[in-house]
Amino acid sequence: MAKVFIYPATSLILSDLVARFGHKPLGAALGIRERIQTAGIDSPPLQITPEEPKRGLKYAAVEVPSGVRGRMAIYGPLIEEAEAAVIVTDADLAFGCMGCARTDELILFSLRQSGIPILELKYPTNEDEGVQFVAAIKTFLASLPKEGEA
Amino acid sequence: MAGYTPDYVGTVTKYVFVESPSMTPGELALRAYEASEGVLIKETCFGLQVTGEPEAVDHLIAEIRTFDPTHIFVKDRGFPPGDPRRCRANLGGARPGYLGHEREFRILRYITHGLEEVERRGEEAGVPDAAPAREKKPLLDIKRLQELIDTEES
Amino acid sequence: MSRKVRIAQLSCGPEYSGVQKEIYDAAEAVGAEVFFPDIALADVERAVDKFGLDVRSADLKLMIARGMALVDGKVDADGVFIGTCFRCAEAAIVRNELRRYIPEHSRLPVVSYSFTERTTAGTLLTRMEALTTIARRRALLAREEQTGITMGVDSGSSTTKAVVMKDNKIVGTGWHPTTEVIASAESAVVDALDMAGLTRDDIQAIGTTGYGRFLIGKHFGADLIQEELTVNSKGAVYLAGHQRGPSTVIDIGGMDNKAISVIDGIPGTFTMGGICAGASGRFLEMTAKRLGVDITELGPLAMKGMGKNVSMNSYCIVFGTQSLVNALAAGSSREDVAAAACHSVAEQVFEQQLQEIDIKEPVIMVGGTSLIEGLVYAMGQLLQTEIVVPPYSQYIGAVGSALLSSGFIQGE
Repeated sequence: MAKVFIYPATSLILSDLVARFGHKPLGAALGIRERIQTAGIDSPPLQITPEEPKRGLKYAAVEVPSGVRGRMAIYGPLIEEAEAAVIVTDADLAFGCMGCARTDELILFSLRQSGIPILELKYPTNEDEGVQFVAAIKTFLASLPKEGEA
Repeated sequence: MAGYTPDYVGTVTKYVFVESPSMTPGELALRAYEASEGVLIKETCFGLQVTGEPEAVDHLIAEIRTFDPTHIFVKDRGFPPGDPRRCRANLGGARPGYLGHEREFRILRYITHGLEEVERRGEEAGVPDAAPAREKKPLLDIKRLQELIDTEES
Repeated sequence: MSRKVRIAQLSCGPEYSGVQKEIYDAAEAVGAEVFFPDIALADVERAVDKFGLDVRSADLKLMIARGMALVDGKVDADGVFIGTCFRCAEAAIVRNELRRYIPEHSRLPVVSYSFTERTTAGTLLTRMEALTTIARRRALLAREEQTGITMGVDSGSSTTKAVVMKDNKIVGTGWHPTTEVIASAESAVVDALDMAGLTRDDIQAIGTTGYGRFLIGKHFGADLIQEELTVNSKGAVYLAGHQRGPSTVIDIGGMDNKAISVIDGIPGTFTMGGICAGASGRFLEMTAKRLGVDITELGPLAMKGMGKNVSMNSYCIVFGTQSLVNALAAGSSREDVAAAACHSVAEQVFEQQLQEIDIKEPVIMVGGTSLIEGLVYAMGQLLQTEIVVPPYSQYIGAVGSALLSSGFIQGE
């Protein structure tokens, strides 16, 4: 079972397909869950404290807006952990954790720089493309090392 | 600065979406309750949220998927169910993530079709090597256009 | 307790900057609640198309759609808070355009802010208070005449001012540097009462404003404790004799600057700057000290000089002062240095704040710095307009407080 970063990280479809085909999807929910389940200073709604943009300095310089650095504090460790990635390149309406275009650009760049296997594709717009979309993801995931092989 | 003490530590929560002609969220919930074995289930307008120990949730999800494999979709959730910080009533509106789900609901039927076809074709499916490139088809075939013109003129 | 003022939040990034709680806390402190206008995905797509600003970030698209839902009346709110990350150009464009668009197409008061992870509820408090006051107290703000005997006290970061008013006239004033907040206020009040020939028992209502407003408000048992954006707007148009129609109020203070676009005496849009001391009255104080003149002499000195003769290219109070020292050492005249300092402050306010509001004439300058004629001249040059400095402009907050507090005499 490989750890597969999904982009958009909030995607229901990618999260489902990666898990369905036997791998672990790494998405925004995992980073948020970790914060929601960790005791500390009360900082609703996401339990992202002002410390997080400072942690984000590892991924983006101080002149980069705080919202980018705060988001990168969530995604950076997940990207480092990822063994593969599935990227939908036309995810223009992903909000919240994926709602900042500058962060999204940095996430994609970081993934491409990391050297892990990446599948890039577009959302299907009809049934035929739906078949291609599912088949491509299934094939890509099948090429990744299974548990114990890595 | 107020301290924060989390609830549901060590659990996972997953969304279960059902987009099926043969199963409503209510029916899904009924069947899920039967198989729940201690996993917390919350029925929603789109399906369920299930919360519990990771292994127990995985087990239940595997069971739930069998109800209608190509019409049930599952995703992780960061928050436990009914959390006031994400509650629509408290925020005054849907949290941003919901709109992202709305975006993907529109194409779930293509995914369903894809899953069915890939399953039907099995290993011989012959999937494309690279990511699927979008083919541009002409909106109207040239022969068909000529036919239409001929029909109009006659 | 009246119902909570409902503030619609249009934002990108506060949850991820760790400052959403600060926004909640600031709103709660002024009896308001923040909510997020509820819209569907189709609304986002339609709104972005209609608004015509094609941004990449989905959360900015969401901001636009939520703003349009408010303007179209699909979602009810009493006021709007717009917040985006500091240093994000894409968000700054959306923030500015929405801040313009919403008041133009609705009666909703708007306040906007660009935050960092260091933003605190304290920073947001004055803005939230002004927003809720405009939403909640339109009737009080409609007051155009002072009645009875009232007193206003403005506890500022540099100075504390007190004014006694009687039958729509200023009959006493007091002024003291702010050292110990309550003691300074007491001294100013004693002076103002002495000048008016009145005693504390004669006062029928008291209003307080400025940084120390809560502390001195409690001390004097004030009827009205109000932030300075509202009272300064009111005081400025009252003293300038321009209570109806649009105007712009500029207050360059010791600690922060306010630029307020006013309509019928009520703040419409406003900005408060306070990040850089180089753009404040404090810089002019330091300049005066370095030139060996009293702050009251700096203005006339500057009027005799030419700011262009001195190179001033730093916005920082430390480096800015260094530039002036260097200029003096290189033989520049004290007059030119004074003029350059005035120009520098005016230019910073112009570039950083006045770009964010719609400047409508008359432009009224108030606060202690409005007495520095070199500064007023420099601002007039930049805005290409004749700046109005009303009488008692240095007492603006105290006058506004005294005027508004007369609404409480008969339990209004």
